[in-house]
Amino acid sequence: MKLAEALGTLKSMKQREGESFTCFLATGMNPLHLNTFFAAELSLLFPTRRIEVQTGLYGDFLGNLGRLARADADSGIVLMEWADLDPRLGVRSAAAWSASSCTDILSTVRARASQVQQIIGQTCQRMPVVLSTPTLPLPPISFAPGWQASSFEIELKAAVHSVTSHLSQCAQVRVVSSQRIDLVSPLQERFDVESELLTGFPYKLSHASALANLLAHLTRMRAPKKGLITDLDNTLWRGILGEAGIDGISWDLDHHSQMHAFYQRLLGALSAEGVLIAVASKNEQSLVEKAFSRKDLALTTNSIFPMEASWGPKSEAVTRILKTWNVGPDSVVFIDDSALELAEVKASHPDVECIQFPTKDSVAIYNLALHLRDLFGKSAILEEDSIRAESIRRSHVGMIYKEAAKATSTSFLDQVEAEMSFNFSKSPVDPRALELVNKTNQFNLNGKRHTETSWHKYLLGPASFLLVVSYSDKYGPLGKIAVIAGRQQEKTLNIDTWVMSCRAFSRRIEFRCLEELFTKFGVDEIELDYVATDRNSPLREFLGELLIEAPGPGCTISRKALEARSNNFSEPQEMTNG
Amino acid sequence: MDETEKRLVACFSAVFPELTAEEIGQASAMSVGSWDSVATVTLLSVVEEEFGFGIDVEDPGQFDSFQKFLNYLRGVGTGKQTAEDLV
Repeated sequence: MKLAEALGTLKSMKQREGESFTCFLATGMNPLHLNTFFAAELSLLFPTRRIEVQTGLYGDFLGNLGRLARADADSGIVLMEWADLDPRLGVRSAAAWSASSCTDILSTVRARASQVQQIIGQTCQRMPVVLSTPTLPLPPISFAPGWQASSFEIELKAAVHSVTSHLSQCAQVRVVSSQRIDLVSPLQERFDVESELLTGFPYKLSHASALANLLAHLTRMRAPKKGLITDLDNTLWRGILGEAGIDGISWDLDHHSQMHAFYQRLLGALSAEGVLIAVASKNEQSLVEKAFSRKDLALTTNSIFPMEASWGPKSEAVTRILKTWNVGPDSVVFIDDSALELAEVKASHPDVECIQFPTKDSVAIYNLALHLRDLFGKSAILEEDSIRAESIRRSHVGMIYKEAAKATSTSFLDQVEAEMSFNFSKSPVDPRALELVNKTNQFNLNGKRHTETSWHKYLLGPASFLLVVSYSDKYGPLGKIAVIAGRQQEKTLNIDTWVMSCRAFSRRIEFRCLEELFTKFGVDEIELDYVATDRNSPLREFLGELLIEAPGPGCTISRKALEARSNNFSEPQEMTNG
Repeated sequence: MDETEKRLVACFSAVFPELTAEEIGQASAMSVGSWDSVATVTLLSVVEEEFGFGIDVEDPGQFDSFQKFLNYLRGVGTGKQTAEDLV
């Protein structure tokens, strides 16, 4: 982004009237243009919200960290350069350099780094913190020539590494990847000596822009894609299965097709992390099954579901896969080596991200892997991620739907040996609860989303409650699949957050949730902060049948109505487009 | 208005969005309330970015009017490249 463009973005943002999003940027430098770039990047990521970036005092890095710790902000940014850890590591200092000063600098840096770790460790209890470690080159203090890493330089970096290693274990701390910043902003294009001397802002514009972009994306982590549909021939492997046969396809060094194995390994890793992987290939099903029996394939059939091998249009295969997965097309990536197939799928599913597999271009395949990691990357792997694919595979058998159709609420749950656990604990805050709130579209009371900070604040309310529901049955565990939050007001319970994973549909879990709330709180009525959204029709239909009328804002469910309806509820629906 | 002046007006417009093109032509640190030292530094950066070269200046305060920026830009390549020379 250019500076003029960032200024223009901020100008247009001034007319916004939405809720504000406040960041506190703690740094010792004059943040000048970085502040502008960062606010502009945030305003693009939060298209309706007013962005406010608070800063502290110039040259007071530790003091600003303290201000961050006390700030009333949605997110904290810690931007640390070497001069913040010891001013002698900057060009504005007049202190002498000597062998003994190196020892003293190292000692100062270690002490300050420890303070940084302590303050961020405390701050992240209140708000998410994004940490950027030094990006600028060290000045030539050490006696070693520039091409030799001196022990001084190594020890300095070890001190910072120690801090990031510790803080990266905290769920609310995200550290800027030094590898990524190296990729997008070459080291020699970062330091602006003139600007540092003139204004105290040490970055060249391109570096400030690149760094601000990364800081903003870590401040607002975008929802990762949920599913990847891959072609087989000249994509998962080199060669055409139908022509070359099972032994004619390859993914190894001998056949100069090793990058297909690289791609397979990535898909295997994504699958293990909870990403749904499916195949859409124009092939004979039986031949594909034989190909997957090859022991040297880095991706097993256990990682893939469903496997769509047929001669029909790929767009139809994608339609079937989306229905099986029960996820929205905008959460899915389709990869194929054929531009024609990509165009055909794109025409039917414009929201699916279609990417051409660059067969025979090893560098491009490597870059594709980096891009896929960005699309599917997440800050942490939760228990639910590891069981997602398997639970979808089981659901697809159809037994659950058939049994649900025949049964009433209680008897159905008995039949499938359902075990539900209801956890009303608000502390420690369960990251899965917020993930569900922010990812769920279909069974979502009102589409309301939360930042980490707003969620924490909400739960701190004395009258607020949080219910996290876990589920397992004879087909296996689904993990934590529903979240309900609200407030109790005498004989009424107000619910303003109710989400349930689409994997948990058709199990009548929603009835048990309501029953549990009536029992737990001893209320007669539950009032719902319902708002219709473009995608919450499953919840709307559930409420419509329960209330015997279309739900509206503030609709109320009585204990009697639930008792009357829960045993006479109609056949469960098979939901789509989650 | 030549191409250089048009591009400079766009730079000023990015930093002072409240000014019209006509006002920009007459703009100076004295006449524009929001023109402070930060605005000067921002202007210099936007102009450098737009025109693709660094402005060698020890005292940014020299650049205190639209006309001085314009004079400087027109002097680039002529050997007369400081604002002082072009007043």
